[in-house]
Amino acid sequence: MAEIWIFAENREQTLELLNAGRSLAGGLGAKVAAFALDGKLAEEYINHGADEVLVLPSLAEDQPLESYVSVIAEEARREKPDIFLIGGTQRGKEMAARIAARLNTGLCSGCTALRLDEKKQLVMERMLFGGAAVQTVVCTTRPQMAAVPPRTFEQASPAKGREGKVRELPPVPGTPVTVVKRTPKVRESVDVTEAKIVVCVGRGVEKKEDIALARELAQVLGGEVGCSRPVAEELQWLPEDVYIGISGKKIKPELYIGVGVAGQIQHVTGMRDSKVVLAINRDENAPIFDAADYGIVGDLYDAVPKLIKELRNALKI
Amino acid sequence: MLNTIACFKWVMDEADIKSDPKTHELIFDRVGYKISDYDRNAIEEAVRLQEKHGGTVVGVTVAPPGAKQCLKDALSRGPEKACFINDQSFTDLEPGQTASILAAAVSKMEYDLIICGEGSSDLYAQQVGPALAEKLGIPCATYVNKLTYVEEENKIIAERKLDDGIEVVCIQLPALVTVLPEINTPRIPSLKQVLGAAKKPVDNIGLDSLEGTFSPCLKTTGILAATMERRRLRFGTEAEDIRKVVEALLKEGVIA
Ligand SMILES: Cc1cc2nc3c(=O)[nH]c(=O)nc-3n(C[C@H](O)[C@H](O)[C@H](O)COP(=O)(O)OP(=O)(O)OC[C@H]3O[C@@H](n4cnc5c(N)ncnc54)[C@H](O)[C@@H]3O)c2cc1C
Ligand SMILES: Nc1ncnc2c1ncn2[C@@H]1O[C@H](COP(=O)(O)O)[C@@H](O)[C@H]1O
Repeated sequence: MAEIWIFAENREQTLELLNAGRSLAGGLGAKVAAFALDGKLAEEYINHGADEVLVLPSLAEDQPLESYVSVIAEEARREKPDIFLIGGTQRGKEMAARIAARLNTGLCSGCTALRLDEKKQLVMERMLFGGAAVQTVVCTTRPQMAAVPPRTFEQASPAKGREGKVRELPPVPGTPVTVVKRTPKVRESVDVTEAKIVVCVGRGVEKKEDIALARELAQVLGGEVGCSRPVAEELQWLPEDVYIGISGKKIKPELYIGVGVAGQIQHVTGMRDSKVVLAINRDENAPIFDAADYGIVGDLYDAVPKLIKELRNALKI
Repeated sequence: MLNTIACFKWVMDEADIKSDPKTHELIFDRVGYKISDYDRNAIEEAVRLQEKHGGTVVGVTVAPPGAKQCLKDALSRGPEKACFINDQSFTDLEPGQTASILAAAVSKMEYDLIICGEGSSDLYAQQVGPALAEKLGIPCATYVNKLTYVEEENKIIAERKLDDGIEVVCIQLPALVTVLPEINTPRIPSLKQVLGAAKKPVDNIGLDSLEGTFSPCLKTTGILAATMERRRLRFGTEAEDIRKVVEALLKEGVIA
């Protein structure tokens, strides 16, 4: 019987992929098997659609999660799943690429949509050229693999009375990469993906302190502050969790306001689905104006305070 | 002494790609080419390690013969040699093929460390690095934002920036890393470097000297431009214009 396999580094994404996996399983008459990092999750995964749960052994303190590659690839070589979906976090993407290389099969990474065609092949979509285009691919070898970014699918909902098998996998051999230090990320309280209004800071903002201007604008509107990738990564002015784009967060707010954002395609890909876009940039040729409904051509240090004042008047605050 | 290979890709500048609003087809008429953005960071990191620890830096690329101009560009950024793995058929390769081709060529070279970019600007598959490591049977660390070479022990300490935090790993060489753009700021080649690049040696490696077959596993069934309907209205910063913008936003019902 055809099998659909699921691996993700955490529970939330496993549940998301179980949702996707279940709908494919319907069309294929296939079973769904999910990997679990902890045997305690097995029952929950079964309730959420897994017919089998493959429990991974625990790792040594100094082994990175990626050490599972050998065990997972070995298992896949033996069991020959038809489809293998992997949660596309950073670790997941590395693992997917390595597993695909070991199995000599094709992998669609950054996969944003999945469906079956009339031949029951898995049709996968991904972005090309920073998001300027969408590519549709099928995989001619098996397993058909996809690395699916977090939150691409809703989590599966639980069903009562589901049954499934649980199987323990063999231990992981020693690995050549050893972890010497881990610093967990402090979770940010802001979630830009949930915000109705996002004021996005670009490198046009000259100093870190000036982000206050964007914050004030966001506050007047009851929105949150996001940024472009270089503002989070190169300048490190804002947390990674709030940068928007193909490699960051994908947002769909009612209103996106770009403040000193150039609007290169990799960024636009993350805010394309905003309902209304307002952009402030002093360069009239900035690409952001092509992605905007309303464009203010001018210096942000001139425009933003005026905008705040006008909004205060109009909104009576 | 550290012998490093920096893998770089010659890509179309995505900012030059236009699309036909009716057919949603991409138009490549006037596109320029460039070294994939994050591969400049890969080359820079290799050169920095060399400045500190000695050794060699070789820039390696897989491309069709027509991409020859990429060599000068790459060499002007510091490597002393380039390895041009080229064949007429090396266009639109999928990441798995590129990794296999690179592996076939690199396995015949002497190296301690391979540096790739986090992802290429056109495909952004983030696959070639880790897949290449597998094909070569060497360990890897992805998403590295800080890299140190410990000479005495011939190992690297790599700081990985991940969704769940920072993870510092230690790997005995030979190994492969993929680097994030924040690892360094690539220097702009000087005129002297640009001129000097033409004199640097290039190894031409053709398909016939590579062992193995490099058949695709994926089949592209369609490419459509992503399009967006926007009003594209322009305003200035005069009070009257700002007022119009606020009125419009109120009318759209997106602020209240
Ligand atoms: C593989 C890959 C993935 C990427 N992923 C992402 C991603 O997910 N998200 C992302 O954001 N980027 C991403 N990038 C980077 C992207 O290509 C751009 O480099 C980046 O978005 C630019 O950020 P920016 O607009 O803040 O800065 P800049 O490009 O430096 O633009 C600053 C803008 O501010 C304007 N400006 C300057 N001063 C003022 C002023 N006083 N008033 C008004 N305007 C002013 C300038 O005219 C300019 O347009 C990626 C790149 C690659 C290669
Ligand atoms: N054709 C190529 N030649 C050399 N290196 C490449 C090539 N394609 C990709 N790479 C390397 O692999 C990295 C990741 O590419 P990708 O998997 O396409 O996102 C790039 O940043 C390069 O370092």
